[in-house]
Amino acid sequence: MQWQSPPLTKLYSGGGSISVSLHGEKAVFSELASTYPLKLLAPYIHDKTALVYLLSYGGGLVGGDEVDLNVNVQRGARLLILSQGTTKVFKTRIGRRQASVHAKGLASGLPSSQHDTTASLTQQTIAFRIAPDSLLLLLPEPVTCFRDASYHQRQTFHVEGNGSLVILDWITSGRISRGEEWVFSRYHSTNEVFHDGKRVAKDIMLLENQELGPHIPERPLRERLKPYSCYAMVIFYGPQTRPILTDLASRYDQITIFKEKTPAQLIWSLSPIEAEDQGAVVRVAGLETEIVKNWLKDSLSHLEEAVGRDLYRRAFV
Amino acid sequence: MARAPDLSFTEPARLSISPLPAMANKDDTETYILLLLSDSNLPTGSFVASAGLESHVKHGFASLSASPVQATVDFVRDSLGSYAKSALPFVSDAHRTVERFASCLEQEDGGEGFLQDTLDKLTELDELYQVMTLNHVARRASVAQGVALLTLYSRGFSRPPTLSAFSAKESRADESQMSRLLNQFKLKVRREEVPGHLPICWGVLTAALGLKLERAQYLYLFLHARGLLSAAVRLNDLGPYGAQQILLHAVRPLVAAETERCKILRTGLLQGSDDGFDDTLSGPANTWPLGEILAGRHDLQHSRIFNS
Repeated sequence: MQWQSPPLTKLYSGGGSISVSLHGEKAVFSELASTYPLKLLAPYIHDKTALVYLLSYGGGLVGGDEVDLNVNVQRGARLLILSQGTTKVFKTRIGRRQASVHAKGLASGLPSSQHDTTASLTQQTIAFRIAPDSLLLLLPEPVTCFRDASYHQRQTFHVEGNGSLVILDWITSGRISRGEEWVFSRYHSTNEVFHDGKRVAKDIMLLENQELGPHIPERPLRERLKPYSCYAMVIFYGPQTRPILTDLASRYDQITIFKEKTPAQLIWSLSPIEAEDQGAVVRVAGLETEIVKNWLKDSLSHLEEAVGRDLYRRAFV
Repeated sequence: MARAPDLSFTEPARLSISPLPAMANKDDTETYILLLLSDSNLPTGSFVASAGLESHVKHGFASLSASPVQATVDFVRDSLGSYAKSALPFVSDAHRTVERFASCLEQEDGGEGFLQDTLDKLTELDELYQVMTLNHVARRASVAQGVALLTLYSRGFSRPPTLSAFSAKESRADESQMSRLLNQFKLKVRREEVPGHLPICWGVLTAALGLKLERAQYLYLFLHARGLLSAAVRLNDLGPYGAQQILLHAVRPLVAAETERCKILRTGLLQGSDDGFDDTLSGPANTWPLGEILAGRHDLQHSRIFNS
């Protein structure tokens, strides 16, 4: 698959573009543009690392919103992308936001939830290019889908040469304070990694409440995912992730399971990506978001060495 | 009884059962193949795979269900749901690919190029399944069972010369072309040029045997569920009678419902981009992240009797 550089011309609503390059020993944003409801905030440079906060307008997306972002990390540069607060996905609603002008066929034909027969999809599409010697760290807060929300996220990563990346994709069960526990209608998240044009990993997670038939007892999503209320996945790829992976692998190998009576507060798994032994996938589940967040913050702390303590401290706050 | 029609013209290419009067129609032939394939003694590797069940129990998750029986039913249901959604599209596309090869053999235009083209498509499907199975334990189990199926075909289902008198002459050439396809695919697996994952190999095997896609899909999910139940029996979570009760009363509707829900799913590889294929609705997906984590942690168990 061939990477096409993002068009510098007109951006659609919800569209955006980030490009980071290296000038001498310092990173610069050679491009940083976004349109409502997407916002790119507080760009900051520290040595070779650029930081930007990605957030949707007002911190949330409603039914019909579309975000379409292109990100380009050029040779030698490092880019850290964070978000401010969780990405909240509100209930789908009739019609579309006024600002969302380009309708795509995706929203039609979706299995409609039992609560809302005119469900319109909220979707976020991001394409990343990670040049040789560069590093992308995508460490946003988790996605929180509210009751009846329908969310679709697609992220594509094109790694070139010895480029590296750490991608965090996570979801919480909803607004616990309102008793929401996995009661959104649909969550579909795709993360696909290519290395020099060859697909090396493709993760597709689909969470939805669906009934199977009249004589089959209900089994809501909550039952399938219990007792945990937060699920995270991290994809590591490229040589700059090696120190973290070595560390994680030795911790993982020390775990021994005898016979547990009840599930632990947090569990995690580590699987290598087999292509050229260049990466790994880590999955984590925890009783509460905070438990997962603390685990991630601790486990990824080697990233401090790459981006510096000050920048790393802004992640997982 | 009237003379049985010569089946070699209507459905050759795959293993053609000679037209015995009692086997005169296609349906009976398929039923016979189903009986053979559902034999729990076949060396398909399900003896050593628990698809995460052992780890699930060991991690204490069975305690979340009301009873051990309920825990097994819940596990089968969640596992089956995710497996149907993630693996069945690959069974379907591999089956279609080989079925197309078979129908071209019938029309006698199955040249060398077509065999290569079929191999390429299967390779592409296998590689996509490999990069989508991001759990090393599941990958390991899947390739072990996949290659077992290919061996099953070449050693257990192909027709030895000593039994050639039982076949219709016209179908022998097509049969040997099909054998060549499967042998070459197996060779690629042995050389580690392709992984040889279970859903792809199942689609290949069942199409080569002339089983219709829908039956192949249904049987695939049934075998997954039955494998889980025999694992539960071996783990002593259930007795054999209890497992049989679950198979009859719970697994039957679940397998039927999941087949119905997932039979139209595709991988997207065989379609052109202008076919309007929407992978968020019709493509493969994982639906059970908890199952992924537990299956991935299999090797962390202090003692274990399965290899997945």
